[in-house]
Amino acid sequence: MEDLTSHPQDVRGVECAANDLSDDALLRRFADGDAGAARLLTDRLGPRSLSVALRMLGNRAEAEDVTQDAMMRLWQMAPDWVPGNAKVSTWLYRVTLNLCVDIRRKKRPDRLSDVPEPEDGKASVVDRMQDEARKDALQSALAELPERQRQAVVLRHIEELPNPEIAGVMGISVEAVESLTARGKRALAAILAERRDELGYDNG
Amino acid sequence: MTMADEDMELDHLFARARQERPALPDDLAVRIQTDAEAARLKRLDPKVRPTRWFWRLFANVGGWQGFGGLVAASAAGIWIGFSAPTFLPDPANLLVSQDTTYLMADLGYDTTFLESTE
Repeated sequence: MEDLTSHPQDVRGVECAANDLSDDALLRRFADGDAGAARLLTDRLGPRSLSVALRMLGNRAEAEDVTQDAMMRLWQMAPDWVPGNAKVSTWLYRVTLNLCVDIRRKKRPDRLSDVPEPEDGKASVVDRMQDEARKDALQSALAELPERQRQAVVLRHIEELPNPEIAGVMGISVEAVESLTARGKRALAAILAERRDELGYDNG
Repeated sequence: MTMADEDMELDHLFARARQERPALPDDLAVRIQTDAEAARLKRLDPKVRPTRWFWRLFANVGGWQGFGGLVAASAAGIWIGFSAPTFLPDPANLLVSQDTTYLMADLGYDTTFLESTE
């Protein structure tokens, strides 16, 4: 197996050729000891894992840890990968989502919905909601969706995955994906409308 | 606001979110690459494989030589236990309570020093 990093004079040509390789082929190369393949896979797949983790968790440090962990599992799994069965990106999305679920489960007592509101806390809650809304209306609305709806909406409307791939990631049917994304979108619209009313925002 | 307006607003937010998808920070890319290199080297060089408790024990008893000696000594012990030479007492009898002086006398040792302490 040719090491992509071992022939400086050929690096550009070899890298161009390697860039054309599928994720499957790159993972096979990595499993065979090619360090350059890992760099290309990191460039291709790392941002996708980070994007999903960030939307699922809403916390940059946690999202970065999840991405590192998911990629670590990819490196460890590489020798056992069977090409052609599934897309490497599908596998990575699934691992990323599972790691996010683990983190959210551990944090559950701290979730906003579980924090009891103080007697006179209406103003502070509104303040907090205004801050969140200003920061990222979509992110704060996503945080209120049930886990599976949030996963489906993020994969469909932010990562722009086709429904069959989302079905593969989530381990459900395409029809179930369609149902989750539709319900998720309706719920998001309702949450945003509610906030607009509460905060006196005008969309214009 | 109509439902169509709400959908349009949501689509606008999704479009903005897609534009704001994060790039991989350099330090995270370095951490991921370091992990990849460690995993790659671990596969290429069996010496850096994580040692399990058995192999650590194996190394601590002196590798194959030490382990061989340990096996030989254990086998001899088991053999003596099951088929003791005639000049040694039956190990099974040692397990039941017996007068020690009696056994010592059986072996032909002088046990008068034991009796003198009583």
